[in-house]
Amino acid sequence: MVISSILLGVFLFTLYVSKAHSYLSDNPETCTNCHIMAPQYATWNHSSHREVANCNDCHVPHNNFLNKYYFKGKDGLRHATIFTLRNEPQVIFIREEGSEVVHKNCIRCHSQQINDPKLSASVEGHQAHMQDRKCWDCHREVPHGRVNSLSSVPNARVPLPESPVPVWIKNYTNNN
Amino acid sequence: MSSNFKITEKHPWLSWFIFSATIIVVFVLGLLASSIVERRAEAVYVNVPKNEISAFEPRNEVWGENYPREFQSYYGTADSSFRSKYNGNVNIDMLEVDPRLVVLWAGYGFSKDYNQGRGHFYAIADVQNTLRTGAPTGSVAGPMPTTCWTCKSPDVPRLMNEKGVVQFYSGKWERIGSEIVNTIGCADCHDPETMNLTITRPALVEAYERMGKDIKKASHQEMRSLVCAQCHVEYYFDKTVAEGANYLTFPWDKGLSVEEMEEYYDGREFSDWTHSISKAPMLKAQHPGYEMYLTGIHAQRGVSCADCHMPYKSEGGQKFTDHKMQSPLNNIASSCQVCHREEGATLMANVYERQDKIIENRDKLEELIVHAHVEAKKAWDLGASENQMKDILMGIRHAQWRWDYVAASHGGSFHSPVESSRIISTGITTIQETRLKLARLFASLGFNDEVPYPDISTKAKAQEFIGLDAEKMNSEKIEFIKTTIPVWMKQAEEREKSYDIAANN
Repeated sequence: MVISSILLGVFLFTLYVSKAHSYLSDNPETCTNCHIMAPQYATWNHSSHREVANCNDCHVPHNNFLNKYYFKGKDGLRHATIFTLRNEPQVIFIREEGSEVVHKNCIRCHSQQINDPKLSASVEGHQAHMQDRKCWDCHREVPHGRVNSLSSVPNARVPLPESPVPVWIKNYTNNN
Repeated sequence: MSSNFKITEKHPWLSWFIFSATIIVVFVLGLLASSIVERRAEAVYVNVPKNEISAFEPRNEVWGENYPREFQSYYGTADSSFRSKYNGNVNIDMLEVDPRLVVLWAGYGFSKDYNQGRGHFYAIADVQNTLRTGAPTGSVAGPMPTTCWTCKSPDVPRLMNEKGVVQFYSGKWERIGSEIVNTIGCADCHDPETMNLTITRPALVEAYERMGKDIKKASHQEMRSLVCAQCHVEYYFDKTVAEGANYLTFPWDKGLSVEEMEEYYDGREFSDWTHSISKAPMLKAQHPGYEMYLTGIHAQRGVSCADCHMPYKSEGGQKFTDHKMQSPLNNIASSCQVCHREEGATLMANVYERQDKIIENRDKLEELIVHAHVEAKKAWDLGASENQMKDILMGIRHAQWRWDYVAASHGGSFHSPVESSRIISTGITTIQETRLKLARLFASLGFNDEVPYPDISTKAKAQEFIGLDAEKMNSEKIEFIKTTIPVWMKQAEEREKSYDIAANN
């Protein structure tokens, strides 16, 4: 009994300190639980997408609820593993599977602009290009800019996780 | 439970197995947890300054050693080469461009001198050089209070902290001339420890408190406008707070619209000055840039001041906020075009179109108010009584307040063209109603001629018309700049030598 409750306690602590509950939400601040996401957060926060789309709107599939959480869980566990093993590259690029998801999400929101026959003449080959390349092969700055190394936004104001120690304990230890 | 015990009784090794397996799992889980703790702790060290910056450090150069990119871009505000159709960062003599202003501000400092503001870099030089602050000498006091320094320098929060806020607002402008030497900069908006945006001027905090709001609860995105709203707002000097103090106050108690502020001022029977021609109790709109912006479409879509005036900039693969605050028209690619995918020239034309249309009616309103001032003087000359003039003078006050609110909101015709037009049109209605009253008053006084519009085609003629001795003002100012300013700077240099951290340049 005692042994298994210690096990459970450590398990709960791990959940708490990793802010596991936050991963169920769509809040962009969740993504900066890992501080290496600061460039992605800061560039998004300075883009026009800030007002209309959060991280999950683009980076997880929205075709159905189960697929959303399956993909999120899969991708998230991979990220968490790499981050824990300190295996992150200096410049993070999106992988093929992820970029498929983002591309479909571009179309999901912007279908009006892409499919409207009145607009199809204004950009030559817009319809065809949608099939043979990714949106950002042309719209290259949207929304994060072209390349983001880990050190690309040294002084960005990003909501990084604060100390997990509760305020009352800090106050108590400060008083002593 | 009992069955479990039975199993372990049968196989004593099993309990040992569970025991050691749990040790391993807890050990590994502990390792994972501490690894997470470590990586979380890294976040604390993402932004650690090279040199420690002490609280209230006013010298931008000291901050700049930690943040060279932001600092260098900040010095971009020294550039005075951009002139847009109406504004920009060139030192334009606005009284020369529009001599009607001289008459509208007759009896008030602005009729002496009013220039297009240059970049933050020149905040102190410009306030020292303007004729409005006069040429105080040891024996002759200047016309302005210390409060005029409030928005000019990060030395202000330092001084307020050292001496107290009321004490800061007390006395004449020249009293602290040697204390205020570092131009608007880092410590005006940033917390020296965390680098987060922070409010350093009491007036904004107090205005929020009186509205029942807590500025500490503002989000980061709101703060990216609120730090600007410490200064780019309508304000007045309240003389009733403390004896001898000109307490900087925002008139937001009833609300942030032009009418609500007017009601606030009327309720307190406050006036900035009495007009020297019409004797009307006037209000000077300062620069309600923030209030006007709030009524515009960009604010309604969540765009902050910094989004357009301080957009992201990339240099050698690093992105940072461009601290050269300036007209976005001088940087359309990084500001407007982040959201608007039109050609730069088209966007520029869109801005100018709004400005042209607002200024068309604004100029008309100016002309009508000049008429009203000289007509009111004529009425006094014809022997009108105070009672007969009361409503007329209030009409002039309200119309000019509305005109000034738009004129002084710098960029208001773009930030909020609809609200700007609305305010100008209420100004035109008010002043024409007032001139109708004036016409009826003339009739009762037996006068039925047109009061001639004065010849105010140049600044010099307009200043002569209101009785200003421009030559004397100018020569005194030149003397002041030559003799007093260098003394102030010398004293400041001596004082800063005693600071803990030396500036390296």
